Amino acid sequence: MIENLKRPRVFVPVILLALIALFPIAVADSKYQQSVFIVCFLFAIMASGWNLISGLAGYVSLGHSVYLGIGMYTGAILGKAWGVDPMWLMPLGAVMAAVVALGIGLIVLRTRSHAFVIITIAVLLSFQLLAANLKKLTGGSDGLIIPQPAWAVDLGPTPYFYIFLALLILTILLSAFVMNSRLGAGLVSIRNDEGKAGSIGINTTVYKVTAYTLSAIPFGAAGALYGQYLGFVNPLGAFAILTSVYLVLAALIGGRGTLWGPVIGGFIVAIANEFATTSSGGVSARVLIMGLILILTVMFLPAGLLPTINQRLARRRARGGSVKFIDQASIAASSSDVDTSLIAARAQAGSSSGDSVLEIRDLVKTFGGVAAVDGVSLSIKRGSITGLIGPNGSGKTTLFNCMTGTFRPTSGQVLLDGRDITQEQVWTRAHDGLGRTFQITRLFKSMTVLDNLVAPLEKTSAGQMVAGRYSGDEVERARDVLAFMGLQEFEKQNAAALSFGQQKLVELAQVLMLRPSIILLDEPASGINPTLIDKLANVIRKLNEAGTTVLIVEHNIPLVLSLCDTVNVLAGGKILTSGTPEEIRNDPLVIEAYLGPDEMLEAPHA
Amino acid sequence: MEIVQVLAYGLLLGGVYALLASGVTLIFGVLDVVNVAQGAFLVFAALFTWQIWDLFGVEPLLLIPVTGAMMFGLGWLIYRGMVMRVAPQGPGMTVLLMFGVALTLEGILNLVFGNKFKSVTPPYFTSSVEIGDLVLPMPQLISGVIGMLVLGLMYAYLRMSWAGRALRASAQNPDGAALVGISSVKTSAFAFGIGAATAGVGGVLLAIMYPIYPATQYDWIARLLGIVVLGGFGSIPGAVIGSLILGMTEAFANTYWPQWSSLFFYGTILLILIFRPQGLMGTRTREDVAA
Repeated sequence: MIENLKRPRVFVPVILLALIALFPIAVADSKYQQSVFIVCFLFAIMASGWNLISGLAGYVSLGHSVYLGIGMYTGAILGKAWGVDPMWLMPLGAVMAAVVALGIGLIVLRTRSHAFVIITIAVLLSFQLLAANLKKLTGGSDGLIIPQPAWAVDLGPTPYFYIFLALLILTILLSAFVMNSRLGAGLVSIRNDEGKAGSIGINTTVYKVTAYTLSAIPFGAAGALYGQYLGFVNPLGAFAILTSVYLVLAALIGGRGTLWGPVIGGFIVAIANEFATTSSGGVSARVLIMGLILILTVMFLPAGLLPTINQRLARRRARGGSVKFIDQASIAASSSDVDTSLIAARAQAGSSSGDSVLEIRDLVKTFGGVAAVDGVSLSIKRGSITGLIGPNGSGKTTLFNCMTGTFRPTSGQVLLDGRDITQEQVWTRAHDGLGRTFQITRLFKSMTVLDNLVAPLEKTSAGQMVAGRYSGDEVERARDVLAFMGLQEFEKQNAAALSFGQQKLVELAQVLMLRPSIILLDEPASGINPTLIDKLANVIRKLNEAGTTVLIVEHNIPLVLSLCDTVNVLAGGKILTSGTPEEIRNDPLVIEAYLGPDEMLEAPHA
Repeated sequence: MEIVQVLAYGLLLGGVYALLASGVTLIFGVLDVVNVAQGAFLVFAALFTWQIWDLFGVEPLLLIPVTGAMMFGLGWLIYRGMVMRVAPQGPGMTVLLMFGVALTLEGILNLVFGNKFKSVTPPYFTSSVEIGDLVLPMPQLISGVIGMLVLGLMYAYLRMSWAGRALRASAQNPDGAALVGISSVKTSAFAFGIGAATAGVGGVLLAIMYPIYPATQYDWIARLLGIVVLGGFGSIPGAVIGSLILGMTEAFANTYWPQWSSLFFYGTILLILIFRPQGLMGTRTREDVAA
């Protein structure tokens, strides 16, 4: 903590917040300014909360102020019933918001980008209607009056100023905690590529719902306080879509996904709002001005202030340094003489039972009327390198996707270590020791190679979600795996800066972090140069020696025949034949499947 | 008999909604942009209609081609000037951009027309048609019929014309469409224009049905987006079904449980999405699953 304070990123904002905290003491007769600060704090709290789901995970919610309203009503209704000031009910407001968010999150997070945005608006408006119509509880559209406590009359806004400030600091601490945790890292990977995140063991449903629930907490607490500060609650004010838009604008201006961006943005939006209202008179001008700010921000400052400034600074710093080229040959020639125990498969409970790791039984997958996979049974022997080849359209990828859980098969079973996993989620399969790579690499492009490697998760648990991003032995293991692959030079590079071939190796390294008992490689050699193909073959052999079973789907027949113990040939959605590379090489059926029947080849001459 | 009355009323209401929602779904289908400014476009066209009617006493329905063309132009400009530049940053940003457009437009309309309800009241405003026991208010009848008619024409045009085919091709695979010579910028601007033009036509229809003021745009955003989510993004038949469901729900709820009408609708949406996250007529493509 003390160490952290020496970094300008930490001490500059801390000093600024401390100065703001001194404001009511230092400046006499500043009730108006304090009230402006209170709105600044409120927007900063909301924008920071929103940032947890929308900034980190990329699920843009346009109805998040619903949780402010829930906090306001919780405070007002229970405060009246129990005869206490609503501000004491801040924790209850937070709990209420979290509970509602959990329920709503379970439903709305089933949808993706567009539908999600819209449903969040619909939820907000539904609550507005509920509040207006549940007259007995909420006082209908007139709302509820919240009597001011005696001290508020004497002291003015100053107590509220400090409570809001305290709430803001708590919110910042909450976001800092989430961002530095595995939960935060997982959310960023979901923003980058949700499907991929699932494939490396991130339980995306649990992560998203957790983030959504957490994001509502600051709103609920602030709502109970804000209601009392205003002195009344009504449906239009509590569940206003404009509040939602303003808080999104705040996070956008400051910088989504950053810790301080939403705070800075909250101050900017609150002050602009105040200025627009007082200087030009009336709501019309305010809506117009905020609309224009929103358009201009989206068009000209889409990343937000903080990230844009950081980028400028980084570019200036980089100007002095020299560019480092990495020579391909050295990767290819890297020794790979690393202790293989670190890439060895995890010991699976009961894994020694049975001699097949992965088994497919009578698998059928149809799309509309087309049976892409039509009754395939396949058994992949423990410790083997098995190949799956077949002409284009033979059903390889579909079969592959059924094994990894991307598709649910129409009928049939998939068994991992003798256990039926047909209905299991992608991430559960990853936890159980099934790793996969993609034909077109899907690394998290905004993250460094090292961050990509520490992202995979071997299980889902609450303890692990709150653990630090780099806690445990992951970083050491990641460095070891990179060294094994000859990629140690790339540790700090952004994944997007690598060549396609390098990305393929990094993606394989990423899967190795899961210590899978079986790795499914989807066309590992496509699109990379021959030197790297050799390297790749070498890595696969080493992995296999260390006890990992490998299944390769590949078009590069020489590679498959040189690597594999067993090769399965798929044609027309069925297994055409299986055998050793030697048998496959000479099988006329295989030649026919790839090239068509003899007579067709000769037909043009006939 | 009351039931039939309510059904007929819901059907007419649904016809107007269907036209408006199909504009939103069309823009989404081709451009992947959620046009949350459709409500503001609508209010703009309605207030423009009121202004002309108020000044010159023109029959409002005659303004349909004018407002349609005007909104087409506005949509085209907004696409070329703004949406096109922001689109590469993804759907979240275009939604925010269109929200900015909606707020700006609302602000301008507020300054020009003030914060008061404006009603267009042509002579047939209070008349109605009686068919047996069935009583259909004239404005609702006219609006519903014209709404369905214009939507039918638009749908036929999109199905049968070259431009419509280009639009659908672009919607399914923009890169492929570009390869066979379909300019994605031109088709997109065209689609945006058509989508906005539905609000131009719809604005006139609304003006003769309801009193309008700028902030009513929020009610419309909510309704239209709800319809589109319910029906399935990008599907015009889905938008029609969603609109009829909303029209019926509102008509029934207005008769039996007046305050709860919209809530019923949102409740239905949430329920349907639990079982079909892609909406009623939405399709789940291989890409959706793999992504």
